[in-house]
Amino acid sequence: MKVKVLFFGATADLTRKRQAEIEITEDAVAANVLEQIFAEFPSLVKHHDKKSLLFSINQEYSSGDEKIKEGDELAIFTAVSGG
Amino acid sequence: MEQDFYEITNDPLDVGEIARRIILPECGATVTLDGYVRKFTKGRETEHLVYEAYEPMALKEMEKLIQRAQENFEITNIGIVHRIGRLEIGETSVVISVASPHRRAAFEACEWLIKELKSTVPIWKKEVYADGEVWVEGEA
Repeated sequence: MKVKVLFFGATADLTRKRQAEIEITEDAVAANVLEQIFAEFPSLVKHHDKKSLLFSINQEYSSGDEKIKEGDELAIFTAVSGG
Repeated sequence: MEQDFYEITNDPLDVGEIARRIILPECGATVTLDGYVRKFTKGRETEHLVYEAYEPMALKEMEKLIQRAQENFEITNIGIVHRIGRLEIGETSVVISVASPHRRAAFEACEWLIKELKSTVPIWKKEVYADGEVWVEGEA
């Protein structure tokens, strides 16, 4: 099944993409998908400690153990710096 | 509250207009933060800034902040507006206005809101210098 992954700011620059579609397995949880994204876009972890990157699912911060469903909107980004 | 509001816009912010929108008869004070673009950060001179938002998530996070502030402080209304896109030195990037019957709660809530906004709302700032640029990473 397919899910959409969005990139912003530094992660958009590193991947040279605003979004991507990735194919994941049926029983994948957030942490698995995150590792898959790191494997497909190695530039992300080349420049950032994995722990410093934030991950969201359907516009909510992820704790890593959520089950991912077909059509979910994922996003990966660096610590926010608005204000 | 019904008069709370939170927005993201590409347009210049009118601080006074935003502050005036939340005034109610039972309030005695509005505290407003006018956050704007600083020229020098750690000694380096910024030419301009670019802000980017994950807009639907940023709006959800702003709504959560307002709910939490309403639960934790004796305040009446809150307005939060963040500008995105290119901003020049001195231009307002964020306005947070808090109205309350008494000023102390409004000061405390406003300080809490900007601190939380800077660590939870998915908006990023790029500092552009004469000789390069960098996406600023927060401390979350």
